[in-house]
Amino acid sequence: MSRGALVDVAFWLFGGGSVVAAWLVFRTDSMVRAAYWLLASFAGVGVVMVLLNARFLGLVLVLMMAGEMTIMAVFMVMFMMNPAGLNPMTMVHQHRQAKIAGVVAFAGLALVGVVAEFPDRPADPDGEPTAELGRELLGDSMLLFETAGVTLLATMIGSIAIASKRGRYGDAEDGSAPPPLALS
Amino acid sequence: MNWSSPLPALLLVGAVLGLGAYAVAVLDGAAALVTARQRLPLGDIVIGPLRQAALAARTRRSTTERPDLQAWALAPALLAGMAAGAVATVPFGPDTAVADVDDGIVAFGAVMAVVMVGVYLHGWSANSPLPLVGGYRFIALALSYEMPLALVLIAAALPAESLSVGAIVESQYDLWNVVRQPLGLPLYLVAGTGLAFWGPLNGADGADLAGGTSAEVSGPARLMWALSRRFVLVAVAVMGAAVFLGGWQGPWLPAPLWMALKTLALLAVLVAAGHRLARVRLERFVVVAWVVFIPLALVDVFVSGALAL
Amino acid sequence: MGVIARLAEGAEVPLFLVVGAGGRLAADDLHLQRGVRVVDTPRAAALLVVVGRITRALLHPALVVHDQLPLPRATLWMPTDTEGDADPGGLMAAFPAVTTADVGNADEFRTVFADLVSGRRPSDPPALPDMEPAHWRGVGPYGHGGAGMTGGVPFGRALPSRAPDPDGLELDQLPLQLGPLHPALPPGLVLHVGLQGDVVRQVAVGTNPYQVWPGDPSPGPLDTALFVDALRAPTPVADLELARARHHLRWAARALRLQGLGALGRRLAILARSLTAGDRGTVESLSRRMTKRRSLAWAMAGVGVADGELLDGLEARLVTGPVRRAAGQAEDARDHDPAYEGLGFEPVVHREADAWARFRQRLAEATQAMDLAERAGTRLRQPGPALEGPRGTLHPDTAMPTTALLELLPDLLAGMEWGDAVTTVASLDLDVEEAALPTLTPASGSRMVGIPAAPDYQNGGGGAKTRP
Repeated sequence: MSRGALVDVAFWLFGGGSVVAAWLVFRTDSMVRAAYWLLASFAGVGVVMVLLNARFLGLVLVLMMAGEMTIMAVFMVMFMMNPAGLNPMTMVHQHRQAKIAGVVAFAGLALVGVVAEFPDRPADPDGEPTAELGRELLGDSMLLFETAGVTLLATMIGSIAIASKRGRYGDAEDGSAPPPLALS
Repeated sequence: MNWSSPLPALLLVGAVLGLGAYAVAVLDGAAALVTARQRLPLGDIVIGPLRQAALAARTRRSTTERPDLQAWALAPALLAGMAAGAVATVPFGPDTAVADVDDGIVAFGAVMAVVMVGVYLHGWSANSPLPLVGGYRFIALALSYEMPLALVLIAAALPAESLSVGAIVESQYDLWNVVRQPLGLPLYLVAGTGLAFWGPLNGADGADLAGGTSAEVSGPARLMWALSRRFVLVAVAVMGAAVFLGGWQGPWLPAPLWMALKTLALLAVLVAAGHRLARVRLERFVVVAWVVFIPLALVDVFVSGALAL
Repeated sequence: MGVIARLAEGAEVPLFLVVGAGGRLAADDLHLQRGVRVVDTPRAAALLVVVGRITRALLHPALVVHDQLPLPRATLWMPTDTEGDADPGGLMAAFPAVTTADVGNADEFRTVFADLVSGRRPSDPPALPDMEPAHWRGVGPYGHGGAGMTGGVPFGRALPSRAPDPDGLELDQLPLQLGPLHPALPPGLVLHVGLQGDVVRQVAVGTNPYQVWPGDPSPGPLDTALFVDALRAPTPVADLELARARHHLRWAARALRLQGLGALGRRLAILARSLTAGDRGTVESLSRRMTKRRSLAWAMAGVGVADGELLDGLEARLVTGPVRRAAGQAEDARDHDPAYEGLGFEPVVHREADAWARFRQRLAEATQAMDLAERAGTRLRQPGPALEGPRGTLHPDTAMPTTALLELLPDLLAGMEWGDAVTTVASLDLDVEEAALPTLTPASGSRMVGIPAAPDYQNGGGGAKTRP
């Protein structure tokens, strides 16, 4: 099979798989499975990006989404009264509004995709996407990304500070009520 | 290696992982005997892992009440697949790499993230309390070591001016990264121990949880999980040997042999740590990882960046 | 297939232990047996080994665990009671097929295992019917077992209740029973915990499974039998101290295994098994090396602080022994014991009262015991009112030391992470069997204290170690 044909097969397989996985996010009856079907959908998109020679972006997408979907699963299990997310539950609500919103969004995006004029600039297959990305990040888009980077760093440091047990006024647990001792 | 004949690639990755896992099992058995000052004939030590594997293969698989069977079966496959992907990006010789892509380090980061998904699924899908606790503990652990791991690998990539593992190996032709960046290898080994939840960082499968995520697994599934864990450990050692110990470079011996020796050296260190260091309290490790390791890794990046400039 | 079968036959025999009455010492020795590996979970085991006499309260848990062993499986029984009927109640008949083995005979294991793996011996059928623990199909308004917003057992599992967290959040809390066969807890300890994640919010100690019922034989040999006998008969001081050192080394081996240092623990256990008076130097150097281990200190320091305030808060019972001495209070019955006069005995004390202090305390006491054994020579101890056993002071008319220690658990473990809770429970050196003896006078050995807990089906399915 020629290389082009392999790329085509891979694209349809993973692109179609992405769409199917996205649909399954709403059809499944388990919270954790929903989170990981979403991850599978993103992973499919990541593979498509790799096929488009944006390998760095595709891998970073998988890297970030794996961590994020796991955090999402953890939060979902934490806040739902569903023991560890193992009981079946329906994941969708407000069916009518959701269907209308979904159809409208799809129609809008499809219109854009069909009517808009996309630039015809084939990417250089032997190009170095990582190097180009680096030049862009530290060249034209430096202000944007540096601001975002420093903001993220401040957020991380801030959240660690909030979670810290010791503050300016002493230990967080001084004066807090001890946990109840009777088994109810 | 090219896409039209995947067979040599499969053979290389399979051989590295398979022989590596076997080496880990033998080293583990030998380390346990040495630490306990017991004696066993060499033949027993060498055949021992094969016997355990054969026994596990002949045992029947058991199941719990309404587990998530697909996710349970997927988990060891995810770990093994990710380990294979990581090994594929590492060159075993000047021209011997399955997929020495330009972003090998990023691929390793993606591997690291999906291993977290695999271990969590293994713990969650059994529908049992103790494996679930093991799975959640691993998430806390993984989120803590991910940053130092990524940062030290980036620091190693700076002198090479490339994210590809092959370029990093070649950038060490005059000096190994373990000498040039002294903070790199120790931090990498700590994070790698966590990635494979081995020894001191075995919160996921620890003895206090009666086996943790593998408490409800038996038979071939148990064998597959044990193998997948060892595959991940081998992948950690292979990447560490390439990025910090100069990879396939070395005088006199052929390149793959150097890779094998360096990998075995790192595996010996990791296995010995498993038997000599007590299991770390998760709370303490999380604090140390965020408050000590991340700043150290940042220092590593800054220093190596300053040197590279 | 032939190659795999032959390879499998030669593997180390994986065992899961059920420690019955009188079986603790034999169970500890099994960890050191060659060709045999004691595993943490029944799913990894091929043989279920019942050591000692199984009690009524242990029978159902043992049957549940038996059914969790994957096929091929077999059951072995190692009675430790050599005189008299080792199973007066005929409880072992509840297992589908039991092979009796001699204590300490490894060949029996290998024969049974080899026959099992090669197919010469049929695998044990299940002991209990395969049914869902909570009946939920078709129950309730929606047919899935639920009742109202939060009631019933939807899909067989009770919804977790909300409980406040010290951070002020309302988080789910899972009521769970851990024990009596949990490998990380002392054999027979039943803990009813309320778990929030892996943090123990509430703990209650369950009924003692070694309770002696009317008609039961008197409790089997305790692992501190020598000390109990020394209350009534003259015993050489050297023997007592040697037994004390052996006990502490065995305890240290168990504690190390729980911290992931199984190989180091095995080294201590091998030393303990063949301990003689001449091993004083080895014990001292090993103790020193263990207490210098930084990673072990890191894992145990600050965990499970049981200081004087907590120890004195118990009403009727008093905690004695290494737990009190590790809290800085130098109370030791050997101080007032005439048999130890002139041997230069001073109680060893540590200040921090945490698990690490208790670890160092016991190793220091082991070294001190070896010293005393050497100096005592052939001195005999006459039976007196109080004797310092390895876990605490023994009196003929008061309860065994573990009874007081068990009362510490609810206050001590509340708020701890599960790993820390396991470390703390191990550091207290509990023997649940001795707590089943109300006092040491033989006539009261048949007092019935409570009804063993019925299987807790409301908690739904999952691992059997979480249910009686």
